[in-house]
Amino acid sequence: MAGSRGDERAWIRGAQSGSVSDLEALFRHHWPRAYRAAYLVVHDSAAAEDIAQEAFLAAVRGLDRFDRRRPFGPWLHRIVVNRAIDWSRSRALRRESGDAWLGLAEAPAPPESEHAQTLAAALADLSPEHRAVIVMRHLLEYTPGEIAKALGLPRGTVNSRLRRGLDELAGRLEQDLQ
Amino acid sequence: MRLWDDPAPGEREAGDRSWDVVRDGYEERIRVPRKRDWRPIAIAAAAAVVVAGAVTSPGHAVFGSLRDAVRGEPNAAPALFSLPTPRSRLLVNSARGAWVVQSDGSKRLLDGYRDASWSPHGLYLIALNGKELRALEPNGDVHWSVGRAGVASPSWSNEGSGDERVAYLAHSTLRVIGGDGRGDRALARGIARVAPAWRPRTHVLAYVDGTGKIVVRSADTGAIQWSSAAQQQSNGLEWSGDGRYLLARGRSSITVFNYTGRERLTPLGPSAAPVVDAAFLPLSHALAFVQRAAGRSTVWFYPQLRPDATAARRVFTGAGDFDRIAWSPDARWLVLSWRSADQWLFIRSAAVRKVIPVSGIQEAFGPDAVPAGWCCP
Repeated sequence: MAGSRGDERAWIRGAQSGSVSDLEALFRHHWPRAYRAAYLVVHDSAAAEDIAQEAFLAAVRGLDRFDRRRPFGPWLHRIVVNRAIDWSRSRALRRESGDAWLGLAEAPAPPESEHAQTLAAALADLSPEHRAVIVMRHLLEYTPGEIAKALGLPRGTVNSRLRRGLDELAGRLEQDLQ
Repeated sequence: MRLWDDPAPGEREAGDRSWDVVRDGYEERIRVPRKRDWRPIAIAAAAAVVVAGAVTSPGHAVFGSLRDAVRGEPNAAPALFSLPTPRSRLLVNSARGAWVVQSDGSKRLLDGYRDASWSPHGLYLIALNGKELRALEPNGDVHWSVGRAGVASPSWSNEGSGDERVAYLAHSTLRVIGGDGRGDRALARGIARVAPAWRPRTHVLAYVDGTGKIVVRSADTGAIQWSSAAQQQSNGLEWSGDGRYLLARGRSSITVFNYTGRERLTPLGPSAAPVVDAAFLPLSHALAFVQRAAGRSTVWFYPQLRPDATAARRVFTGAGDFDRIAWSPDARWLVLSWRSADQWLFIRSAAVRKVIPVSGIQEAFGPDAVPAGWCCP
């Protein structure tokens, strides 16, 4: 991604001072990974849009309090991934409750590339909790310690979810993930 | 790792849409002055309540309503602090008058007005005050008025060129007047007291005559284009946004005609539970409707026009009475008036992605408050 840490600090400073163009630069820089992370956890493009959008709105609401010495991404991603997990859990609960129409909800749009299709299909077999740690590790490139902090989990749990999740993915994605 | 760098479906388009929303949220934020008194605390508390409502999980909302119906949805915001769609305005009719609610939650009472509805671009309202039909701006400035006995159900055409008309009832006469207040004349006599409906982008009106037939007629020439066979008395008429379909809501039926009147679908037959309201999704042929049965009310969503109701999806069920639904202009939100619980629910799409409950409706707007139209930016 283009945009250095210095750029990001300048965008945040500008946005805190009322600059729409700086806010847009910050938004454009972080949107693709925020949306992609949400999509890979929830597998529903409309829900991913809602989740990423609401995370940015939360960021806007908290902009004045944001310490610009800290990176923006982890803060945003923590919101995105936690909301995506909550959304997936609530959808699973509704299915268990037998609300038939929910099964008819809008089908996700087909992935646009072969790689994305392979990845989305493989991830769909995992639980949302496993998807979340794998997305945070491999898309967002956080360390297990950072993931543990963001999701409020023991580090050992993160490691075990990563191991188990990657084992399940390995058959389909062996070449890409090595 | 190349695999993870591929864009997800819809990523770019979703980003463009979301940037508009985020920018609006940001601009709202920078317009709020900072004050070092008790108000930030009150705003923060109010925002916390709104957020609590906003994050109510859809599943909880649906099943919570069945379980805990008397009090309505839990975690409801105590008042309508904002509309979920930026740059939109909600018109509310109540026993106190008509209210215009801005997207930031601020609202203006047009005291003593009733039956208000928006002009096509939301620049004006048409409403009744005593025995007068009035065209006015949302700030209350009256542009013209005409006095008639028995006035009811005014509505503005949406012809598109600016040459608009207003239809209204005067007792059992259907009258049409120019959007500038000139040329008032009777179009049909002896009709039912059902609000007439303008076909979008035309000067063609649908109304219910005294025998229960639906009549579609040019307001300019008076020529009748078609009329339906007598059927269950229609209580409400509405055209789809593209003018291809006309929905007729009976006491317990929904019938949809195509614009020629030659094709007819009955997604809900006359033996169904009572139908309280129905509305086409903007720019779509999908429709939502409200039914009431056995002490409960349900909002259903019908994603495609089909000959029967088997494909209808349940959106929300609660105890007591729902009375009105209205779609946001971008078709992303549905507002449901839940009279028994003194709440309104803002439901994010027919798939219930989010529910924002708001309570204290009667205290805020007065008795019998219902959403009467969610308008354009």
